[in-house]
Amino acid sequence: MRLTLTVNGAEALIEVAPHSTLLNVLRDELVLTGTKEGCDEGECGACTVLVDGEAVDACLLVALSVDGAEIETVEGLTSEEGTLSALQEAFITAGGVQCGFCTPGLLMTLTALLRENPSPSNDEIREAISGNICRCTGYAQIIEAVGSVARQENGR
Amino acid sequence: MTTSLVGASVPRTDGEAKVTGRAVYGVDYSEVGMLHARLLRSSVAAGRIAKLDTTHAIGMPGVHGVFTSADAPTCRAGWVIKEQHLFAHDVLRYEGEPIAGVVADTREQATAACAALEIEIEPIAPVADITSALDEGARLVHPEWEAYEPAGPADHPRRDNIACEVISDPDPDALLQAFAEAHTVVEDTYVAPRQYQAYLEPKSAVASFREGRYTVHTAHQFPFNVRDRVAQCLDVRPSSVRVLGHHIGGGFGGKLDTALEPYAALFAKLTGRPVKLVNDREEDILTCPSRENAIVRIRTALAQDGTVLARELECLMDHGAYSGEMPWLASVPMHVLGQVYRTGAARVTTTLVYTNTAPTGAFRGVGGTYLYFALEQHMDSCARALEMDRRAFRLHNLIAGGDQSLTGQTLDDAGLLREAFERMEEAAPWAEGPAESETNGALRGRGIAALTWMTNPMPGSATLKLNEDGTLGLITAATDNGTGAVTMGITQIAADALGLQPDDVVLLMPDTDAAGYDAGSQGSRTTHIVGRATATAANEVRDKVLELAARLLEADIADLELTEGHVVVTGASDRRIPLAQVAATATFSSGPIIGSGSYATQAPSFNPGCATGLLFPVFPTPTYHVHLAEVEVDPVTGRVTVTRYVVVQEVGRAINPAGVRGQIQGGVAQGLGYALYESLESDDGRYRERTLETYRLPLACDIPEVEIVLMEHPDAEGPHGAKGVAEPPIIPVAAAVATAVADAIGRPITRLPIRPDDVLAALAE
Repeated sequence: MRLTLTVNGAEALIEVAPHSTLLNVLRDELVLTGTKEGCDEGECGACTVLVDGEAVDACLLVALSVDGAEIETVEGLTSEEGTLSALQEAFITAGGVQCGFCTPGLLMTLTALLRENPSPSNDEIREAISGNICRCTGYAQIIEAVGSVARQENGR
Repeated sequence: MTTSLVGASVPRTDGEAKVTGRAVYGVDYSEVGMLHARLLRSSVAAGRIAKLDTTHAIGMPGVHGVFTSADAPTCRAGWVIKEQHLFAHDVLRYEGEPIAGVVADTREQATAACAALEIEIEPIAPVADITSALDEGARLVHPEWEAYEPAGPADHPRRDNIACEVISDPDPDALLQAFAEAHTVVEDTYVAPRQYQAYLEPKSAVASFREGRYTVHTAHQFPFNVRDRVAQCLDVRPSSVRVLGHHIGGGFGGKLDTALEPYAALFAKLTGRPVKLVNDREEDILTCPSRENAIVRIRTALAQDGTVLARELECLMDHGAYSGEMPWLASVPMHVLGQVYRTGAARVTTTLVYTNTAPTGAFRGVGGTYLYFALEQHMDSCARALEMDRRAFRLHNLIAGGDQSLTGQTLDDAGLLREAFERMEEAAPWAEGPAESETNGALRGRGIAALTWMTNPMPGSATLKLNEDGTLGLITAATDNGTGAVTMGITQIAADALGLQPDDVVLLMPDTDAAGYDAGSQGSRTTHIVGRATATAANEVRDKVLELAARLLEADIADLELTEGHVVVTGASDRRIPLAQVAATATFSSGPIIGSGSYATQAPSFNPGCATGLLFPVFPTPTYHVHLAEVEVDPVTGRVTVTRYVVVQEVGRAINPAGVRGQIQGGVAQGLGYALYESLESDDGRYRERTLETYRLPLACDIPEVEIVLMEHPDAEGPHGAKGVAEPPIIPVAAAVATAVADAIGRPITRLPIRPDDVLAALAE
């Protein structure tokens, strides 16, 4: 069946099987492998993408159910010139990345959070990422990364 | 002179690849013409294959082959004991054991054909747990155990359902006498669960077979072990296998032994095409070599003044159905018992027991996690029996510099333990007790735990080649499983020696054809061992650069320094030459500048007569630690909240303080998971937890920010003095938290994890 999506600003027309998930389409059809599959059951958050601005688990969504939607993935966070977003920079600088497998999902969840709430408290950050499991970092440096972006934004 | 990179919190060099989604992990790798495989796995803990009919599956759409034990080599393989076939022949010994494999054009087709395999299994009552495996007349998990050969040169004590037995009882008379004459004898038994590594990237492998050689792509902590184990499973020599590493989505010990790689390699040979095999999460949980469950009994003879006169420890470890590295880990209890507190006369018995459960293995901190949990709870128990202060009792029995461990290893720097207690006292004075609660009615408690741990001594190497543009190629099979040991530690050491920036170091991902042997990311070894090898390699490159530059600059070597990508005459900044120019000049005159280094820690001496069955006799390059936890317990719900956590850790030298912090914060988080939430429970040998929903992992809201005090006592052998850092922070967490909870509720904690129901039950007693 035919599916139309706008992915990171570019329109994509894809033939998909009826049961294909959005995650399958992104990783296998569009070869956007930045979005990760950790559990395929909506528990780990590694596959988080933005669908019309909202953070969702791409493994749980049947692709055809989001026909026509605007999708943002980790590949879309970097500008066309290759400049990293402030949040991406902060993750590197604050040490919020270790193995990095949860990082794309966390970046998408937190990008959505910061758009809605540019100055989240630490508790609000913890709450926002309660669906994103990170096994490496113990979260502290991730929370710091978000805090540093919030402070930069507020300083402007 | 630029600031040294060593000791600086510079970002990891793979950070940009990881935040942009460009980093290629094992699961992301694919090849042209690649097929997809799935494994049919045992649905029972124990049974016999009564019928396996592949006819229908072979005819399914897209299927290229269905393979069973008839298609695999007949040899047995194993890391320590060679007991395993690739596919079950007849007998099934754990749920998840591979029975057959299907290869098809797509993963969906392979999955469908796998489901279409016609199989009938006659279930057998499983040997479900440690206790029943040791019962008189228990069914043997491996009736043919005597026919199994050790993978190494020597065998070790094993029999029936016992895969390894370590016994140390050097002076039975002294032990008996001490218990007979003791003022007080205290005995406790502790139970610890299995813990799943729960790395976020499931295991995977892509293999091909060309020109008589296997090529295996995998995101693995120990590529050379994959090479050796694939060769063993497929009955070829190790150099017939080439292993290429990719970014690793976490490992924590769960990716040290081979898993899917031999299957992918076999299927590639049998189909003539590259084959990819990826675990789904349920398969990964069912088959992962989790931290073993165990039962620990400790008994202590005490003098009236609080001196430990004698101590006995018995440890029963669940080995699961087959051997990974567990027979080595059966040595850990002996180390733990004598390397923090003096024991007086000691007896240690460790029994590693076969059961019809998934094979257990290494998880960061291995058995140290539950052994220190048991030891520190028991220390509290002893202190209570003597009505002594818990901290004072510990300090009274603390080992000192120059004391020997129970294996006869001299711990020259063990005085650092007392220093760590003192540093903890500055951060969190013991007499103050836990902070006032903000929650009405909450019970508050505080716990303290100490640790001595090792830096894995096994060999590693690095080759550095100075490229003509002045960058530095780094060739090593050391893997960065996320710790930053390669992309921070080693990279910083190499760049610093040559006056370069971390981004000037071009890292080759692990390739067993290109790099020298490396023992993998385990036991905090990479920065210490491979960092040292890298420093040696960098010094060789540096010497060659300076020798040529001295000629080009007409200066004395002693007057030259390497900084900001240039060779500069000290004190005459106009007399300088770019490193690129030196490199290019060398390359096209005498040949490229290359340096190499190899290193392994020389084993400290020990007493070979101290025990039987001890495969892992020393704890080289030890580090010393004290942890403190403060908790609040809700007496209505039983919920435990960790309100404060402090770590004092001796690291030798922190090459990258932010990286060290990440290892401590992350290690403590995993330790809190082990202490409070995580457990793989079995019903008749089958796991109850099969998803990341039912297997409860620590989330952002569960983990406090850890307060960290670093102690730096540089090691004479380590690069810039660095010792191992990453493994230890997980180890004393359950010990510290459990002593804090016991303090809060006034009752001992004898079982992990400490779940609300258990707390309420203890409070009701």
